[in-house]
Amino acid sequence: MADLILILMEAVSAILCFILVRFMIKPYYTTREGRYLGLPLGFGFLGVSYIFMGLSLYFEAFLFVEDLKWLQLFTQAYAVAFLAATYFFSKKTAENKRLWWDLTYAALIFALIVSYLVVFEPPMFSLPSYKTVDEYFRIFNIVCLAYISIHTLKSHVSQPDPKTIWIPISYLMFGFAQYSSLIWSLDSSFSAYVGAHLLRLLGLSIFVFVVYQAFFGKRMTFLKGEIEAEEATA
Amino acid sequence: MKIYGDLLFILYRESRKEKVVLTRVQLKINVPFDRLKKYITELVELGLIEDEISLKLTEKGKSYIREYEKVLDFMKRMGLTYQ
Repeated sequence: MADLILILMEAVSAILCFILVRFMIKPYYTTREGRYLGLPLGFGFLGVSYIFMGLSLYFEAFLFVEDLKWLQLFTQAYAVAFLAATYFFSKKTAENKRLWWDLTYAALIFALIVSYLVVFEPPMFSLPSYKTVDEYFRIFNIVCLAYISIHTLKSHVSQPDPKTIWIPISYLMFGFAQYSSLIWSLDSSFSAYVGAHLLRLLGLSIFVFVVYQAFFGKRMTFLKGEIEAEEATA
Repeated sequence: MKIYGDLLFILYRESRKEKVVLTRVQLKINVPFDRLKKYITELVELGLIEDEISLKLTEKGKSYIREYEKVLDFMKRMGLTYQ
């Protein structure tokens, strides 16, 4: 029963991520600047990682479950790396940094392929145990998410606006979810494991709320008001 | 890309007041005049503005800036800087 609930949580998380990808790609479509591609790629990889996790829980007795867990580890780490790269490059001016963000994204994709080959393709290298690598990856995820949280918090503090506080909160929740997973990995505490899932779901729900507010919220922006007033008088 | 969005905003506001004066637009957007002319030609070719009696946004241009404004608002909410 507990497994079924966890699988369901993974499925819901994956669905929420793929819904978010649909909107996260809009900054790239509108600006045509590669640095914003990290947002849809990040949420896409995050969704894929939840699918791998769900599958590894569902096929617990099968041999390939270890492979699924490794894949989950990589995809999640790449997800946060892409997100962190997006925030890092967003504060640079477009003119002089285009080459750098293109190189960074290319390097991340290359690293993803190499890591897949190292783990799954023969000759296999003797890697540390999954548990040890999992802990290192969790720490890496926490560092990236802390960077993003600080970046978004700074952005909120520089131009205080109630609508910009939600994103730092949700990234912090992602960070705490990773921390909870680390605790679970160290002491196998079931409450930490469930807590990680709940925090992550809460974080994703906040993202969906922000997307809804931005694209479907009944706000009257300055320009929208102007255009509608003009159309009403026409 | 940002310059095109900003230019569309300025052109929209200017065209609502009276005939669009390019030197005033140039002052607001702060680019050399020949580059401004080039941007305007590109926007006309894209069908976002029309250059008849005066410059004004087409329906496509208006829907573009509506979407552009939404995306800018979304990016602000996401804590992303666009410069």
